[in-house]
Amino acid sequence: MVKQVNRRTVLAGAGAAATSLATGASSVRAADPVKVGVLFPLTGNAAAAGQASKAAVEIAAEIVNDAHPELVGIPLAKDAGIPGLGGAKLELVFIDHQGNPSVAQQQALRLINQDKVNVLLGAYQSSCTLTATPVAERNGIPFVVGDSAAGNITQRGFKWLFRVTPIASDFAAAYMTFFADMNKAGHKVASVAVVNENTDYGTSVGDAVEAAAKKAGLTVSNRIPYSASTTDVSAQVLQLKDKNPDVVIFISYTADAILYMKTMKNLDYMPAMVLGDDSGFSDPSFIPAIQDIAQGVMNRSAWDIGKPGSTTSKINDMYKGKTGRDLDDTSGRNMQAMLTLADALNRAGSVDPAKIQAALIATDLKPEQLMMGYRGVKFDETGQNILASTYLIQLKGKDYKVVWPDANATEKLVWPMKGWKA
Amino acid sequence: MKGTIALCLAFLAYPFVFSNAFYLDIGVALLLAAISASAWNIVGGYAGQVSVGHCMFFGVGAYLPLLVYQHWQLPPIVGVPVGIAISLVLAVLVGLPTFRLSGHYFSMATIAVAELIRLVVSTWDFAGAAIGLQGPAVGRGWYDLTFRGELPYYFIFLGVLVIVLAVTWQVQRTRFGYYLRAIKAGERAARSLGVPVRRTKLYALMLSAAFTSVAGSLYAIKTGFIDPDSGFGILVSVQMVIIAALGGAGTLYGPLVGALILIPLQTATNTWFGGGGTGLTYILYGGIIVIIARFEPGGLHEMWQRIAPKLWKRHAA
Repeated sequence: MVKQVNRRTVLAGAGAAATSLATGASSVRAADPVKVGVLFPLTGNAAAAGQASKAAVEIAAEIVNDAHPELVGIPLAKDAGIPGLGGAKLELVFIDHQGNPSVAQQQALRLINQDKVNVLLGAYQSSCTLTATPVAERNGIPFVVGDSAAGNITQRGFKWLFRVTPIASDFAAAYMTFFADMNKAGHKVASVAVVNENTDYGTSVGDAVEAAAKKAGLTVSNRIPYSASTTDVSAQVLQLKDKNPDVVIFISYTADAILYMKTMKNLDYMPAMVLGDDSGFSDPSFIPAIQDIAQGVMNRSAWDIGKPGSTTSKINDMYKGKTGRDLDDTSGRNMQAMLTLADALNRAGSVDPAKIQAALIATDLKPEQLMMGYRGVKFDETGQNILASTYLIQLKGKDYKVVWPDANATEKLVWPMKGWKA
Repeated sequence: MKGTIALCLAFLAYPFVFSNAFYLDIGVALLLAAISASAWNIVGGYAGQVSVGHCMFFGVGAYLPLLVYQHWQLPPIVGVPVGIAISLVLAVLVGLPTFRLSGHYFSMATIAVAELIRLVVSTWDFAGAAIGLQGPAVGRGWYDLTFRGELPYYFIFLGVLVIVLAVTWQVQRTRFGYYLRAIKAGERAARSLGVPVRRTKLYALMLSAAFTSVAGSLYAIKTGFIDPDSGFGILVSVQMVIIAALGGAGTLYGPLVGALILIPLQTATNTWFGGGGTGLTYILYGGIIVIIARFEPGGLHEMWQRIAPKLWKRHAA
């Protein structure tokens, strides 16, 4: 086979040669650990989520570093360490960016210049991811984003950024596919209402859902932004009651989600379905507060504990042993990001940043290799995982059960929801 | 004078002694904190009008460069003079009614106005609403001031700090400065002696607002991102007050001294203890502030003035 030689291939060859020369001295010996800098908000408003994610990433490192043959399917679980790097272990360097974008930027600099990390992972809040990733980009260090969902993170033409998590537009697309399935099954979904808290999370997801609904030909009967610290939502619920959409989609934090459910009961308003967008609906305190009045409420999650004895159930046991809680969706997405990174490190066979970058670009994980309910992990040229997806879950009794898509469903969907009439 | 020269030399030498990007970045953060605290110091320190809403000027200064970039693809620096102009107007609008209040009431009014602006900005789509605004991730040219390294920022920030301190020094030794100190000592007494109190306070606020706005612009251009909390959040104001009070409010070098202590302390505690996620950072940080407030309420500047003569005496003996 004759390969056409042009300027680009020559340059690429020269570049590769130069890199291998330059890194000859620094390439790791057999068991030198791979340093991963992890940026999370360990204090401040989002401390709870940051701490939970920290524990999840630590479990991911444990899965890679120790032999866990019982975790069938998970890459690198079987043997101790990373085989492609001569059994090297992952060494995590955690930093606390406090949810402050400028601290995130400064600490990313520190991880690269002081701690000499080989790769970065983080950073929960989209604002912090937006300021920390350019540092990695300028220094040529791969940055794996576990859970920040803002669309523009991958729209800046960065070459060193890889985002494993689904983003707002993915969730919105999943909801629309679900509604189409419902219409096929004879459950009418012609109009939806979008109720969102008014900070960056609610606004960005709300915008994506509204746009997707309009594109799918659905009527958006109401778009109601509100402040999550509010103590009265009667006016908002009455607006919903007035327009009576088929489905109400809530993008809410915890206290406000509970308040909405209670107010809807008080004002005797129940749509055919309430669909929560993770966050407040996934908070451990949500179910006990509303289980008697909101039976059948739906939520999204890419994480499902699964049946006892399954790989996901075993991972959940490890997490529960460490923290005393079940693994949640957000932390699970960070754990999946860490495992994805470990798989790439193994294939890179070197800690040379360019080799890790190339391995990340070549990532192609299948659903059975994942702990999360994505359709796989494969990055497009912007670094976004194009196979990221989510399950939809429904509250039955005291637990959420996976009800959609059908292939992953553990229980049958109940439509319409029963609410307080269960 | 000798001290000033030594300080200048130390700041000029710092980037060459600590050339590592992380240390340089701490230097940049320190300079920025010193600039904003020194700007606050003009009205909060010299005139004794404790504004806890200075983030409104910081936020305006921070938003404008990124707004002109976002909407018209202009270099962010174009937004700096616009930010100053808006901050000046804002200072007049806020200053005229609130300067009728004194003491705690003035502080509370400034907090209220700043919070109001934060809420409006976080729902205003043109300003990026709750999601915030981004600067150029990779500079299109030198005029975008998006540098790969920290060194250019260090010297730009240092230059601005020198200007702010030079203006403050000039204020201090003119009639205007004496008016400010007279107002701080007793507003009624000052008025009875013929000091044009309202006008003087307003000019001080405008001068302070303009510099605070520049500090905000520098922050946004360097960080490349701004959202309502990092621009208009109350912690932005509180940091200016704490730094100035720590070093010595109403003195020329007070805010700089405060920044010299607080910023490395903040970074060091976060670097050493932050990864543990125990919140030890805040405990240490808060503890030191409490100790200083308890034993040295006048700030380190006052402590130095008390200790220094004793030291010289010992040397002499």
